[in-house]
Amino acid sequence: MKKIDLHIHTVPTISESHFNFSLEEFKRYVAEANLDAVAVTNHDIFDGTQFREIKEALGITAFPGIEVNLEKGHVLIISDGSNLEDFEARTSLVSQQITKIGDSISVEELGKIFGNLGNYLVIPHYDKSPLIASETLEKIKPYISAGEVDSAKKFIRAIRDETKLTPVLFSDVRIRTNLASLPTRQTFIDCGDLTLNAIKSCLRDKTKVALSENDGNNLWQIFENGQKLSTGLNILLGERSSGKTVTLNKINSTIENVKYIKQFSLVQQDEAKDTREFKDDVERKRSCFVAEYLSGLKIVLDDIMNVDLDANDREMEQYVATLLKSAQDAYRQDAFSKTALFNEVDFPVGQTNTLNALFESVKQIIENVEYRAVIEKHLDLASLKRLACELIELIRDKSLENKKKTLVNVVVKDVKQRLKIRTSDVQVEDVDLYKISMDKKRVERFREIVGFLKREAVVFEDSIQGFRVEARKGPFAGAGEIKDVSGVKTAFGEAYKVYGEPYKYLRALLSNESLTRSELYKLFVKISYRILNKDGFEVSGGERSEFRLLQEIADAQNYDVLLIDEPESSFDNLFLKSDVNQILKDISKFMPVVVVTHNSTVGASVGADYLLYAKKELEQGKSAYRLYAGYPTDKILFSVDGKSISSHGIVMDSLEAGMDAYNTRRQGYEAIKH
Amino acid sequence: MKLLSIKDSSGHFLGESGLSITVDKITKEDLLRLVNLTLSKDVEFDEYDENTIKNQAHQIVYKSVLEKLRGLMDRKQEFIDDSERLFLKDYEKYRDDSSQQPT
Repeated sequence: MKKIDLHIHTVPTISESHFNFSLEEFKRYVAEANLDAVAVTNHDIFDGTQFREIKEALGITAFPGIEVNLEKGHVLIISDGSNLEDFEARTSLVSQQITKIGDSISVEELGKIFGNLGNYLVIPHYDKSPLIASETLEKIKPYISAGEVDSAKKFIRAIRDETKLTPVLFSDVRIRTNLASLPTRQTFIDCGDLTLNAIKSCLRDKTKVALSENDGNNLWQIFENGQKLSTGLNILLGERSSGKTVTLNKINSTIENVKYIKQFSLVQQDEAKDTREFKDDVERKRSCFVAEYLSGLKIVLDDIMNVDLDANDREMEQYVATLLKSAQDAYRQDAFSKTALFNEVDFPVGQTNTLNALFESVKQIIENVEYRAVIEKHLDLASLKRLACELIELIRDKSLENKKKTLVNVVVKDVKQRLKIRTSDVQVEDVDLYKISMDKKRVERFREIVGFLKREAVVFEDSIQGFRVEARKGPFAGAGEIKDVSGVKTAFGEAYKVYGEPYKYLRALLSNESLTRSELYKLFVKISYRILNKDGFEVSGGERSEFRLLQEIADAQNYDVLLIDEPESSFDNLFLKSDVNQILKDISKFMPVVVVTHNSTVGASVGADYLLYAKKELEQGKSAYRLYAGYPTDKILFSVDGKSISSHGIVMDSLEAGMDAYNTRRQGYEAIKH
Repeated sequence: MKLLSIKDSSGHFLGESGLSITVDKITKEDLLRLVNLTLSKDVEFDEYDENTIKNQAHQIVYKSVLEKLRGLMDRKQEFIDDSERLFLKDYEKYRDDSSQQPT
């Protein structure tokens, strides 16, 4: 197997923060990582002079390449290096086109620059940011040998999925002076000669690429010293202060996208705080449900907010008063108030909403493809189309009519205003009785809706790993509860006094300027959550921790590695065995999991894929931390520097407190049993 | 067709019966009828002249109505087109489709 890293940066460009290249560090990386081949792939630039120096200094196969910023995604173009001058000339055309952040070239331009892309090794960012867009991928697919990923998890996923490209894991490292840690992302290929063509044909065969030299894709390198982990379930054992948590922290800092569940992080510390946080968390995750459930009320509220019954009353009073006054003064009208338009009222201008909706429905029937057969069984499409046309004609007529009436209303209003200025007679104020009556109906309906909403009921149930999340609706019991939901520091005492009368309550809320109008819908009905255990009772503190652990583990699917430090620190064995072990096992089938444990239920029963043992050893008077590793069936575990240790001994010591204790305990159990 | 005219020092509009009526009698229904005529027929108006119309109330009504109707006449086509454009694509599609198929 050959170890290759074909994505390495040696020139700082506009696409990254500045660094100083170090040839010495490059040599150190190649030597310590035992690389067989590398490629130099800088962003949109190829420095021929530097490349020649690097090639000569490294003494291994080095390919010239470039990472091109395509219009949608990055792609590596690697040459066999047989004609460096030609590659320099072509890549300089890329550099000319990409001079500032955001510049890119199209696939067509790429083809023009490099000619036949089949002469190069082409590797796009496949499951790695910035992800190549599928349409771009499709265009260059014939020339692609492999797709770059950025984690072991994604590598395994691509290997297992027949529809996916062969994955490659490369470092994408900036070789800078004083490189803090050497990269651990490389790919092994089963390849004889390391020519570009040989590598290309290897990469087209998934069975010829692997994460490790001897263990296929079961193991992958995690630390620069060569330490490996399983791509499945790893159990990390060790005595207290032997470096287990340090190891987890190191993994956490080595890999970018890690889900790390720290020791005791799920344990209840303060009952009240814990309960509140737990509820907040559950509610936050389900807030979209509340928004959806109350979306109807929100629409109603948007409408009702514009209804001002007080203003309507004032309009009515004004109308009656002016009407009576005008009647009294009728006998002494002047030329202005005698004109017909002086007391003219507006044309009511209706909307075409109903007609529009009707037309849209007919259109939907005409254009539906899925149920075409059923529709045509009962309805004649040609008639429907004529109906649609007729409806459109009606809509047009009506809308033209409305436009005319609106125009007339403008004239009437204008004339009335001008006449009013010239006369001392009272003009009868116009009043829209239709609107006023409709507003009353609206408020009535609103009152009914809110009344229904306030009735106690369970409106949502969700089952998560044996727990049941239940959302209930009901009325608020006091101003404090409303304040909590509003999230605003303001008093609700006055508003709450009229909580029983939805419209008045709404007006009271509207008069409070610190409240956002679009959020008011949350303040009419209380949605509360309960988490119930298997028996239907509200969860206890311990059960809350269990629930959270299961949620955290489920959430881990979005990450590249899951680390858990001593899950047993707050859970009982039954829970660990029945739930946690199973979930860990399941999740480890598609992502690496590392569990630190002292607990035999987890450590011995979970069915780990790889065993690690952390040990503090005294060497020449100094403490040295060492990791031993091997498969669970191995009798001996080895460290990367060749030391060994008996696995039986460490399993007994770590999980059973030693052989003697284990035997004593076993005898004790036997005695109870008999 | 003359919709607004000035005679005997008064402003007049074309009544429904075809007789001219003084503008102080105009109602919104009359206005709507004048709007329809403006949009559908070739119409004309006597220019407003405050020296010719003696009655100040007539002056106000006549001037305002004239301005609006003239504005409408200038934008006659645009006004009608706006309505015609509603659902034009659907209308043409269904009209053409249904005329090709037997009933």
